[in-house]
Amino acid sequence: MKAQQLKIALRNCGVIDPENIQDYIAREGYLALGKCLAGGSREAVVETVKKSGLRGRGGGGFSTGMKWEFAAKPQSDRKFVVCNADEGDPGAFMDRAVLEGDPHSVLEAMAICGYAIGAEDGYIYIRAEYPLAIKRLKTAIAQAEEAGLLGSNIMNTGFNFKIYLKYGAGAFVCGEETALIKSMEGHRGEPVSKPPFPATKGYRGKPTNVNNVETFANVAAIINKGADWFASIGTEKSKGTKVFALAGKVKNVGLVEVPMGTTLRELIYDIGGGILDDKEFQAVQTGGPSGGCLTVKHLDTPIDYESLVASGSMMGSGGMIVMDEDDCMVAVAQFYLEFTVEESCGKCVPCREGNKALYNILHKITHGSGTMADIDRLKELSVVIKSTSLCGLGQTSPNPVLSTINNFYDDYVQHVVDKKCRAKRCRALLEYLVIEENCIGCGACKRACPADAILGEPKKKHFIDQEKCIKCGACYQKCKFNAIAID
Amino acid sequence: MEKVTNVEQLKALQSALSKEAEQAASKKVIIRIAMATCSIASGAKPVLDFFTEEMPRQPLEFIIKSTGCTGLCHSEPTVEVTLPGKAPVMFGKVDVKKANEIVNDYIKGGKQIEGILEVSRS
Repeated sequence: MKAQQLKIALRNCGVIDPENIQDYIAREGYLALGKCLAGGSREAVVETVKKSGLRGRGGGGFSTGMKWEFAAKPQSDRKFVVCNADEGDPGAFMDRAVLEGDPHSVLEAMAICGYAIGAEDGYIYIRAEYPLAIKRLKTAIAQAEEAGLLGSNIMNTGFNFKIYLKYGAGAFVCGEETALIKSMEGHRGEPVSKPPFPATKGYRGKPTNVNNVETFANVAAIINKGADWFASIGTEKSKGTKVFALAGKVKNVGLVEVPMGTTLRELIYDIGGGILDDKEFQAVQTGGPSGGCLTVKHLDTPIDYESLVASGSMMGSGGMIVMDEDDCMVAVAQFYLEFTVEESCGKCVPCREGNKALYNILHKITHGSGTMADIDRLKELSVVIKSTSLCGLGQTSPNPVLSTINNFYDDYVQHVVDKKCRAKRCRALLEYLVIEENCIGCGACKRACPADAILGEPKKKHFIDQEKCIKCGACYQKCKFNAIAID
Repeated sequence: MEKVTNVEQLKALQSALSKEAEQAASKKVIIRIAMATCSIASGAKPVLDFFTEEMPRQPLEFIIKSTGCTGLCHSEPTVEVTLPGKAPVMFGKVDVKKANEIVNDYIKGGKQIEGILEVSRS
């Protein structure tokens, strides 16, 4: 039987009109909040979330119930609930889909969290690049306040909860909760060392609970249907479902939600429809710039927090990029490092300088001047960056390098020893050659060559001067006689 | 919307609204057009405009909803049509021409037309 999707976080996405609160209420919207306010004690709410086994969907995988418990404990005149909507992984759009398709589910869950931990103010930290999500959130907040489901004295229960939006300028590091809080306070978005955790000293120095959009989107369903229901879905340690943004060389690119424990194979082949153009599967990258590249031998790995970490990657926020035989894994590692170098905030040395060094070595390898010693240096440096960086960004940034070295060592060796790129992606390692028996000497390639690297008389065989060739591929594209080969 | 003043009132409102939705589904054609960023980028707006213009001219009761992401990025813009009492059917890569076909052939004509997507539902 083919694996199926199971929609909890996305239960209303594509079904309801996100700009109409009545649509949301018709599908049990705000009933969970009502249930908590009318009957459940604060402790009972925390207990339900804890018992459900819900874990942070932003990637960390920490128990949501425990996080709420930590924030509920301290006595304070003010506390804050923060929704982390700073989605920044390349190719990931889970949070945007939830916010655009079902904003009330996040608002309701934030209010429930506020009730549980004793907070009256909620902030959604959202990137300004999501204008439609912002517009729909604003509409949703206004509608919920008008209906008396947010604001002061909600449903006459004496509970007040207001939600505000804070805009992020699109820095990847601001998805890290301490950096996010700094940015909310108007400081530079730089992480600080923990402890103190935000649960004791967060926004404006007050106890703060930060959860990801998708985590919140699960909460109302858990309250309505019960912790046992939620805990019955998934694996032993990872409960419920996970939303993935399936991208790359897969037929059905899109947003999917599957029960934890679904295998990568089921996700890619049953739900994703297999590899584009029926090419050979090579790797799947999970967890974005913090995750790793998994290979054929990992296809039957069940998707849960522990299994993915054990196989050298991580859950991450849900980006899943599928790669086929035409992708060069060394270049992929270089791509992610380029992203990390760009996004490192620069506060701690291992991340700021270490990642730059990793990138430079990878650049050297993909440009044909790498050595075997460079591969060892990559490994050594990766371990140091992981163990000494201040925040999650640096602690995970070498993962794409380590996982590709572990799973695609031969590709690295080929780049440094043979100076070849199997996938023919690394331009500097390519060699353009004239296939003599096909060349009729028309001169089209010679005229197209911007580097004057092609020599030959009209109507005679041409050849390429490798010293001058800049590997631009113009001759290959121009030749109508299949007389140019790429080696 | 009127202010909800207590939890009981919310429950009553919820059951009234869900009953209303059920009744509507039994006699009206429901057209859901995905209007997330990705859908709009691939051309959902003219499709939505077409339906809102065209449907009132038909002798049919209908509801048009613009929704969020359906997750089917590979086939946006998507339109889901539920005929009264029937299972929902999802159409992919809908443009105005296709939308016209959906209205005339599928909704009015009751014919099977191409472009239906297989959707895994839960």
